Amino acid sequence: MPLATTERVVALAVGLAAWLGVAIVSVLVVNAWNDENQVLAFIPIAASVVVAWAVGEWVTDRLFGPTKQ
Amino acid sequence: MAFLQRAFTTRELHDPSWLRRVFGDTRLAPLWAAARLYLGYQWLLAGWHKLWGEERWVNVPGQDGLPLQGFWQRVTAIPEEGSPPIKYDWYRDFLHYMLQHEWYTWFSWVIALGEVLAGVALIVGAFTGLAALGGALMNFNFLLAGSASTNPVLFVIAILILFGWKVAGWIGIDRWLLPALGTPWEPGAVFAGPSAGASGRAQQSHLRLDHVPAHLRALRARIAAASLRCGPALAGSQRLTPLGHAA
Repeated sequence: MPLATTERVVALAVGLAAWLGVAIVSVLVVNAWNDENQVLAFIPIAASVVVAWAVGEWVTDRLFGPTKQ
Repeated sequence: MAFLQRAFTTRELHDPSWLRRVFGDTRLAPLWAAARLYLGYQWLLAGWHKLWGEERWVNVPGQDGLPLQGFWQRVTAIPEEGSPPIKYDWYRDFLHYMLQHEWYTWFSWVIALGEVLAGVALIVGAFTGLAALGGALMNFNFLLAGSASTNPVLFVIAILILFGWKVAGWIGIDRWLLPALGTPWEPGAVFAGPSAGASGRAQQSHLRLDHVPAHLRALRARIAAASLRCGPALAGSQRLTPLGHAA
């Protein structure tokens, strides 16, 4: 069943917010740890990327539905 | 003239399958994402130092870009003994021109913001190829100016990401951006209308980043049809080249 326009807009906004979150996390991590803990800094950034990607996949599913083989 | 005609006739050379896999298979996307995150973090860190660090280049009391002015003065100077940092005269002249015209006041902003933007774009995987190109361009200029530091390593990573631009942003915004915007040779849903891929499965097939130009797709279909017509005789000992000629 196709989604209502409002649902699509909300889903899109959630996806965009997730990736905006990655950018914010990255800047905050660099701001907090600077040159120290470069390896540790990788963890929250990578984690936020994975979360945002999962949210994006969910949004795609909501917008376009499951893939039919 | 026949040999020239033979040498430059229309022919497409193909990459080996492992190379296509490395630069185009989404199963390797996590590897590209790791490279992208490392490069992005390094650029963001460098840009952060220039924008907000203690020894920042811009947004300081007085004139902006004084550290850049110092850098340009240092690298354009020709020592009495030994070789100068810049090997190419044209590049030294270029920096000297910018120095004379006090371009460091605004160019320091360009560098600082460029580094931060390239870093963030690489981390979130938006326009990954363009971000890597921008980063590589900055590395290239720093190297020309005689500053090695981490530039050679970052340059190599950026070039690799450039080669893998289709899949490097797969775990990133490019997963959705590229199908929406498309490429110069295959417009996406935004430019070509919903029928080109904005709706349902068309979009999903686009998301595989199977960006094969239309004329090559037609060619592939022709080859498949020819193979079917020729049947086992062709399948046994002969193979068709991508251009439809028997090999």
